[in-house]
Parts: sequence; C-alpha cells; structure tokens
Amino acid sequence: MALESLDRSPPPFFRVGFAPLTKLIFFSALSLLLVFGDKQLQFTKPLRAGLSTLILPMQWLVLQPGEALSAMGTYFQNLEQAQTNLKAAELKVLQQSVRSQQVEQLQIENQNLRQLMGLQSSMAVTSQTAEVLFDVPDPYNQRIVIDRGQLKNVALGSPVIDAGGVVGQVTRVYPLTSEVTLLTDKDQSYPLTSEVTLLTDKDQSIPVLNSRTGARNITSGDVLAGQPMIELKFVPASADVKEGDLLTTSGIDGVYPAGLQVARISHIERRVDISFARIHASPLAELKGRHVLVLQPSAASALNKGKAP
Amino acid sequence: MIMSRREALLLPVSPWFIALSLLMSLLLSMLLGLSQALWLPDILAVSIFFWGIHQPRRVGMATAFILGLWMDVQHSALLGQHALSYVVLSYFAFSMHRRLLWFPIKEQMLQILPFFILAEVIGLLIRLSTGDDFPGWAMLLSPFIETMLWPVANFILLAPQRRASDPDANRPI
Repeated sequence: MALESLDRSPPPFFRVGFAPLTKLIFFSALSLLLVFGDKQLQFTKPLRAGLSTLILPMQWLVLQPGEALSAMGTYFQNLEQAQTNLKAAELKVLQQSVRSQQVEQLQIENQNLRQLMGLQSSMAVTSQTAEVLFDVPDPYNQRIVIDRGQLKNVALGSPVIDAGGVVGQVTRVYPLTSEVTLLTDKDQSYPLTSEVTLLTDKDQSIPVLNSRTGARNITSGDVLAGQPMIELKFVPASADVKEGDLLTTSGIDGVYPAGLQVARISHIERRVDISFARIHASPLAELKGRHVLVLQPSAASALNKGKAP
Repeated sequence: MIMSRREALLLPVSPWFIALSLLMSLLLSMLLGLSQALWLPDILAVSIFFWGIHQPRRVGMATAFILGLWMDVQHSALLGQHALSYVVLSYFAFSMHRRLLWFPIKEQMLQILPFFILAEVIGLLIRLSTGDDFPGWAMLLSPFIETMLWPVANFILLAPQRRASDPDANRPI
C-alpha cells in the first residue's frame, strides 16, 4: 500500500489551541454583539457594506441560472403573444397620451394659479429607472434589492414606484446595489443603509390622502389572510371611508411627492367595542415587476434647490 | 459496547476539496434562498456540520462564523444571526465527532436532528426577540430535510476519499 494513502499527521496533543467551550463563548458573544449592534447602534453599517460588495460577484453568479431561464422563456414565447402584447401596450400608450397632454396643460394652469395665489410651486421630481435583482431571502421582512446604489446617487429614503403605484422606500444603500423595503413591510429599522422596503412591510408607514374625501391618514404594512396588505391606522369608526376609495400620497412627510397612487381600500371592519375601524387596503403597485423607478426624496431635492446658485 | 466501524479506511482529505465543497454549498444555499420558501433546507449548515464531524481540526467555529456572516449579508438578516447558529452547530459537531461515526447512518441521523432544530430555533429566537413576527410553521420542516440530506452528504463529500476496490490475493477488500 502506498504510504501517502494514509493520513499520517498525528493529532496535536500539546498544541490544541483554545478549548472548544472558550471558542463557543467567544464567537457567540461576538455574534450577539453584532446582532445588538446591527439592531440598535448601527455600528455594523461599514462591515455590512464591505461584505455586501465582497459577495456581489457570487450573487451575480447565483442570479445567472434564473436570468438564463427567463431569457430562454422570452425567446421561445411565440410571435402571436408578442404581437398581442405590443397591441396592448400601444393601446395603453394611446390612452395615456390623451391624459398626459391634458397634464401638460393642467400643470401650466396649476403653476399660474399657484403664482397668482402666492403658494409655493410644486417641485419637479427627478427619477431614474432600476432593475429589481431579487427579493431579499430573509423571511421576516419584505424587501427587494435593486441594481442602483450609491454610485448612481441613490439616496437613502428615496421613494420607489412602479407602473401601478408606490412600491416602497430605499432603506439601505450599498455602493453598487440598493435594498428597497416594501410598503407592506412592517419593519423599517435601518435608516442608515439601503434596501427597498416594500410598502407592505410591517414597519413601513406612508402618509396618504383619501382622494374621495380628502381625509389624511397614516398607513402601515400588515398581512391579511396571507396577503400582504396595508392597514390604515387611527381611523375613527365613524369616519367616511368606503371600499374602493383610492389612497394617494399626501406629500406632507417630505419624502414621497404628493399624488402618487398607493392603494385601494378593500376591507373595512367596524366593531362596536373599538373606537377605531380596522381598514385594509390592497397595494396598487405590481410588486413583482422587473423594473422600478427610484425618485429623489422631495425634501432632499428641495434642499438642493435651495443650495443651487 | 464497542461497535465495529463498517466504513473502509479512507484516503486523506484534500483541503482544497473541503474549501470547494463549502463554496459550492454556499452557492447552493444562496440560490435556494432566492425562492423565499421557508421549508427549504440550509445546505451550508449541513456541510459545516459534516466537516465539523469528519475534519474537526480543519473546519471549526471560526469558519462557521465567517460563513454565517456571509449568509447574514446575503439574506440581509441581522448580522450575527446565521453566524451564531452555525457556530453553535459547529460546537456540537466538535463535541460529538468522536462518538457519532461509530453508529450506523440511520442512528447518526437520529442524533444530529436535534442540533439542526436547535440551529433553526436560535435564528428564530433572535428575530422574535428583536420584534419580528413568526414567519410560519413551514420553517420547522427544514431541519428534518437537512437531516434527510445527511446520507447524501456522506455519499458526495466522502467520494474523493474512498479508494477503488481492487481485491487481490493478499488484500481481501
């Protein structure tokens, strides 16, 4: 038998390093410190940013099979379907062009009126498109990662919208990518880094305006019967709210520009023993689309405007 | 009672193969994580436990900690959440590495199941204690699937160390 076929190095009897229990205590303490630091003190931000840049090539590699599959799917999609899609898109553009032409005229009219009344003019919002890379695997919150980050001037707290309406808000910015916390996410506890938290996240709240009655409310993400929803907070049981009411951003938070569509009210529950109504609305954003629009937060753009010579 | 170890003598392990297998399971874990299904097994945890049992001097708690941090960033979970559960897993792998391999594979599986459950529960407890909601019962399925993967890991990860069987007159195996 060849000698090299056996493991010849004897176990080290005298130099065994630290005891396993010591190592366990050390690494556990370090982990718990990181957990605490990440949750409360935010000192792990540079560590996370560094690591996230380090793992980016691996992430890219992991995303490739899915990309290839969807590319193949698109390739083999038959011609007829492509033509149907094109026709639908053209129809939509036609319908929207009527509105957009009116909007031009209305905007000018609005500006003139505002000047006449001496009101502050509403600001134009700058935006950039971004592609959704993946949903964050963490099952505890609802976020997506987009392919624009610090290098493309994505600012922390930027609102993110898609064709349907508000998607959420950028809550972590990495050098090359960003994370978006969805509107339906409950937790928005990372004000210093960047992901997009979806509007359905539990801790994501947006000031909204009921477009029928003009009442202002605050939303928060919630889950109703397994569906990510948003909940209207602190609405008196006697308030005038109907199913189907459209909620738009009210713009008073200085983050979301006014007038973006957020959700449509779908469930109203009024009980005698509680003085508040439980109101749920389903988000209008597609939330599963491939492309989103990242807007500059309106407070930040106002600041820039002030600084500009 | 001393049981006979049925496994034939193994060739020495190549450190490169350990590194490669950990890297591959990291990639697989990242890939599976993208689907967001709660019941999917954590393949990296199985690999870390496996090498903790078979090569405790090469793959220890430091490796587990670093890989855990990597998974935390990939999952965008709290930093240290996966790290802690992998470190605990690696500690228990070390503490039982002399005993476990004397048992047949089914009894090995019975013995390692509690540790995979523990690793899952640690992650859950950390998140619950920081104010997140319970994500769903399906997540308790994943330790069982991880245990089911133990024979598969045995087959794949020990493959390079098994020698080809060529019996001759002097050598019965």
